[in-house]
Amino acid sequence: MSTPDAATTEVVRNYLTSAATEMQRTLTRTAYNTVVYEIFDFGLSMYDRDVRLIADAPGLSLFLGANDYSVDKGVEYVGEENLDPGDIILLNYPYWNSSHILDVCLFAPVHLDGELIGYTASRAHWLDLGAKDPGYVLDSTDMHQEGLVFPGTKVYRQGEANEEILDLIRFNSRIPDKVIGDLNAQIAALRTGGKRLRELHEKYGSTMVDACIDTIVDHGEAAARAGIEDLQDGVWSATDYVDNDGVSDELVPIGVEVTIDGDRIRFDFTDSADETAGPINVPIGRTQAMCKFVLKALTIPGETTNAGHYRPIELVVPEGNLFNARYPSSTYTLWSSILGVDVIFKALAKGMPNLIPASTGGDICSIMLHETDPSSGRRFVEANNEGVGWGATDTHDGPNAQMHYVQTMVRNIPVEVFETKAPVRFDRLELRKDSGGAGRYRGGLGIRRDYRLTRPTNVLSIIKKTRTEGWGIDGGEPGARNVVVLSLTTSADDRIQIFVDNDTEAMAGDERWVGMMRGRFQAGEVVSNRSGGGGGYGDPLARDPESVREDVIDGYVSRARAVGDYGVAVNPDGEINWVHTRSLRGDSES
Amino acid sequence: MAPSEHLAIDIGGTFVDSITFDRATGAINVEKASTTPADPTIGVVNALEKVGADLESTSAFVHGTTLAVNALLEREGARTGIITNEGFRDIYEIARTNLPRESMYDIRYDKPETLVPRRRRYGVGGRIDAKGEEIEPLDEDAVRQAARELVEEWGVEAIAVCFLHSYQNPAHEQRAGQIITDEFGEISLSLSSDITGEYREYERTSTAVLDAYIKPIFDNYVEQLDGTLRDRGFGGSFFITRSGGGALTADNATTAPVHTILSGPAGGLIGASYVGDVIDRGDLIAVDFGGTSMDACVIEDGAPAVEYESALEDMPMMIPVFDIRTIGAGGGSIAWLDGDLLKVGPQSAGADPGPICYGQGGTDPTVTDAALALGYLKPEDFLGGEMGLDADGALEGLENDLARPLDLSVREVSTGIFEVTLANTVGAIREITVEKGLDPRDFTMVAYGGAGPMFVPLVAHEMGVEEVLVPQAPSVFSAWGMLMADVVYDEAQTFISVLDEVDYADFEQQFVNLEGDLSEQLTSEGFDGGQQRLERYVEMRYLGQEHTVSVPADGLSDLDELGERFEKSHESRYGHTMEDPPQVVHLRVRAIGEAEKPSLEASDDVASGEPQPADHREAYCFTEDAMVDFAVYDRADLAPGHEVPGPAIVREPTTTIVFHSDQTAAVDDYEHLLISGGDGR
Repeated sequence: MSTPDAATTEVVRNYLTSAATEMQRTLTRTAYNTVVYEIFDFGLSMYDRDVRLIADAPGLSLFLGANDYSVDKGVEYVGEENLDPGDIILLNYPYWNSSHILDVCLFAPVHLDGELIGYTASRAHWLDLGAKDPGYVLDSTDMHQEGLVFPGTKVYRQGEANEEILDLIRFNSRIPDKVIGDLNAQIAALRTGGKRLRELHEKYGSTMVDACIDTIVDHGEAAARAGIEDLQDGVWSATDYVDNDGVSDELVPIGVEVTIDGDRIRFDFTDSADETAGPINVPIGRTQAMCKFVLKALTIPGETTNAGHYRPIELVVPEGNLFNARYPSSTYTLWSSILGVDVIFKALAKGMPNLIPASTGGDICSIMLHETDPSSGRRFVEANNEGVGWGATDTHDGPNAQMHYVQTMVRNIPVEVFETKAPVRFDRLELRKDSGGAGRYRGGLGIRRDYRLTRPTNVLSIIKKTRTEGWGIDGGEPGARNVVVLSLTTSADDRIQIFVDNDTEAMAGDERWVGMMRGRFQAGEVVSNRSGGGGGYGDPLARDPESVREDVIDGYVSRARAVGDYGVAVNPDGEINWVHTRSLRGDSES
Repeated sequence: MAPSEHLAIDIGGTFVDSITFDRATGAINVEKASTTPADPTIGVVNALEKVGADLESTSAFVHGTTLAVNALLEREGARTGIITNEGFRDIYEIARTNLPRESMYDIRYDKPETLVPRRRRYGVGGRIDAKGEEIEPLDEDAVRQAARELVEEWGVEAIAVCFLHSYQNPAHEQRAGQIITDEFGEISLSLSSDITGEYREYERTSTAVLDAYIKPIFDNYVEQLDGTLRDRGFGGSFFITRSGGGALTADNATTAPVHTILSGPAGGLIGASYVGDVIDRGDLIAVDFGGTSMDACVIEDGAPAVEYESALEDMPMMIPVFDIRTIGAGGGSIAWLDGDLLKVGPQSAGADPGPICYGQGGTDPTVTDAALALGYLKPEDFLGGEMGLDADGALEGLENDLARPLDLSVREVSTGIFEVTLANTVGAIREITVEKGLDPRDFTMVAYGGAGPMFVPLVAHEMGVEEVLVPQAPSVFSAWGMLMADVVYDEAQTFISVLDEVDYADFEQQFVNLEGDLSEQLTSEGFDGGQQRLERYVEMRYLGQEHTVSVPADGLSDLDELGERFEKSHESRYGHTMEDPPQVVHLRVRAIGEAEKPSLEASDDVASGEPQPADHREAYCFTEDAMVDFAVYDRADLAPGHEVPGPAIVREPTTTIVFHSDQTAAVDDYEHLLISGGDGR
């Protein structure tokens, strides 16, 4: 077989990428829940017949990375010989699915003239599959409290809907309409991708397409290895902590060691906690996805992804570790994987501080409201993830209010949309003054968003890092921590379950400072979600006083903190008081 | 004699294209002058002098300009402030918290500076809720104080006002606008609810800010140009093309100039629709291949596709704009190697230094250099001989930079460059057709722009499109299209209700109100009833879905019929319908004032005998996959009735038409070239 020429290969690569994008458009245009269409909580990928990733669409990086493992396991379970044209397989068994039960992976074999030529996969967050609690489960202790499980089940057989399975879903979901709507949207996306893959094979012939894919994947591997080669060799480790596991109230350590040796990169999670009773356990496919994200970000962030990019990864994680969860450990709030990505970067920053920013706010700070609408009788679930401050780098301040690294494609929900869909009125949505870590380059600011309930409603917060600080680099300070502040009209007892209590004695009166919680709130009560800031980079006293002055004028930094953190005194008229500033900075020039 | 001339001027990045049409004689003149970025009026005046426009006898002047978009791209707009609700002044900066698609894995992403820094964003008391009810009165003193500080302390030239839920109830915005005008009459003001009646506060704020940001510059320009034209005796109507269809009077454009921000590419689409109408082709794909980019847009049933959620430089705009897909692929796009992969664009050599073959110092091989190597361009023919081509340099560049490292011949690498460009183009066109449930094979492609007539027949071939229309003077087709613009206004109202619960009387009344406003507008601009056309659309979705489908709502007998039309649209777009109840989201009206405009007349020429080639040369035929003999014709020698078999090259002064061995070109009554044949590969 001849090797394909450069132009054909590039044509095939473009074709696959645009096919994946087409899948995404189909999904977002037809989806039913805001988590998919407004927030973009999904991952779409395409595979060749050997389940090698050949293209994906921009989406949730941890979803995309996890699809590879899911499809592999799903094909293994069902058996390649049992896959027929028109089949669609549903998989959400967490340890194969590489995520929790609600991040449902659907995949479809693609056939041409009866021959298997590849797969399309589509993962999206469903709203309910009958877990023990509505909305989100925060304290499950085994998988069976988390909802209906499918190990790789045909929802469509040879193009025909399997009504019995669909009924099973309907009767096990608290929100059947939206779940079935999203299922249909995902299927539409799979079919779009399958059609395109078939057209490609028809046009060029499978032999040529396969040869092009070999070239593309090999090129991907070479590019990733060259990227690793450019990095400094070394072994670095770091630790940070999840607030608790939702069941017992102890910090849970995430310990990571990263080794770079020539064109190889190894991630070792041995130092992380063992599996926990509460649902912060991470299946190995998702741990792989974390490593994939880091590798992409370090080496070839701008390239469209394929399986070759991920070949250099070596992963060490013992069975039963927090990052290699086994049946029946609970996985519902596996957000430990989000913080895990920060910890990997924390380790890397020790070896390559010129490439890695200081810490982000370290979380995605989600608030969820769910209730049955009294007028329509329909149950709703609406949730919002919040941006956090990003860390400063050696060349620029950290950006304000951006979604965490692992979900940079995700959007917040507009105030006007949220207020239309849920009994809430926002009192404010603004940047949190002084939340950015001080440094020569300042960390980005977090957000404060105040939800005032207009009717009794269930509210829960899904936040896993409120008790430990982030980190600066090279003398920079950490940013402000994440926190949820409750303003209640009556006692929280009996109606609000607080999993992480951050109240200290010094705190005033009616406010309760918490992390993760769930409960029933009264009209007029306020849930103030305050996301953390990014870490600073370099000595704050080395920050250009002019930049500090600008920050004070814009209200990113208070006058007091300008003095305390940066040694810069700004007069009420906005001018720098140089005499005072020099003395604060111990400058002898004056 | 009544003024009978029409004049259109299209300012592009490199050239100002001008065109005059004399209604009395049917004569058309076309000219190009250089763009003068420092003072665009100079370029316009040069262009109209060059084309010999007689302003005293000109009744209509239609203008498309990139002035506003350039002010934005170069960050040279007005110093702008924002007034919004207390507690929400950071909405504009927080935006939607996501990163641009291409930055998905960029942990060092650095957010670009916003157009309005935090110090110039003020929150004031007052609140409307999601139902449009006032729950806290507007703090008028705070508005006054905010405006004062913006003007006196921060020296702003423009203020954007955007309050939460103003799409439901604009009272607070209107009152704030009144207060600001009373206090600071001179300040330029943009109210979000004046521009769009749709929800999503960040996107609406962004739209109002963009408007405010370009408004003073735009106003000045229009005023200056208008003055200059009037001084020269112009007494007709002055129109500016809109980003989302048609044109509006210059006067009206200055009230919300954001509507003209993409007025540049609009002309070609208007032109394509018009030509399609004349020759009875309703479904078209307009493909404009220029020097640096390819712009494509679908025209369905005579109407170019419009989208309502677009963005410029990642700044959203909630106004209708033509759904144009742009990729960095044009004649000047640079071909390069990424390891052993061949890439084309998005970097372009532009007009300066340009492709290697221009001999102006360009050193990177481009698509145009590949076209030369494949025999489509002949050095002595280029630009009517005005500009020679450095063929040796081009071949050498292709050889050294690409062919040798890949171990290919120059011919192979040149076809490779075409193939890659083609793949990129096809991908973009699929996005606006196949992904929307449209089959490109049902369409005719319209080829224009400098490189369009060379590329589009190949694109058509690749996509199985059976017909390509090459209009007259394809390289200035956008300016020509502007002559054909009607005056168009769009207005929308958010109206959220499950279809079953829609109060038909209220629904009807809302439409009547929208239509009344728009009709009044057209009447005040001199369009009588017979020249006005009003179109209704309803944006609908299934309850629980977010994205809407636009459903034509003219001639509805009842709401059931609306439901049926919606289901049909959804089915054809997405291949399925749902059992959930349909929901109405927005009501839209498009009001059209039909301008007097030139009509395209059939040519008097008749073909006499077979067309005679002026030349022959070797060029690469993509159908034969080989260098073969191409007959070369001059377009001026072709007349209605002529048929030219491929492979052939048709020369005209500013462009080259190429088609291949399984394609044939026919000259129609209007002297368009219609290239057909080729059924994909």
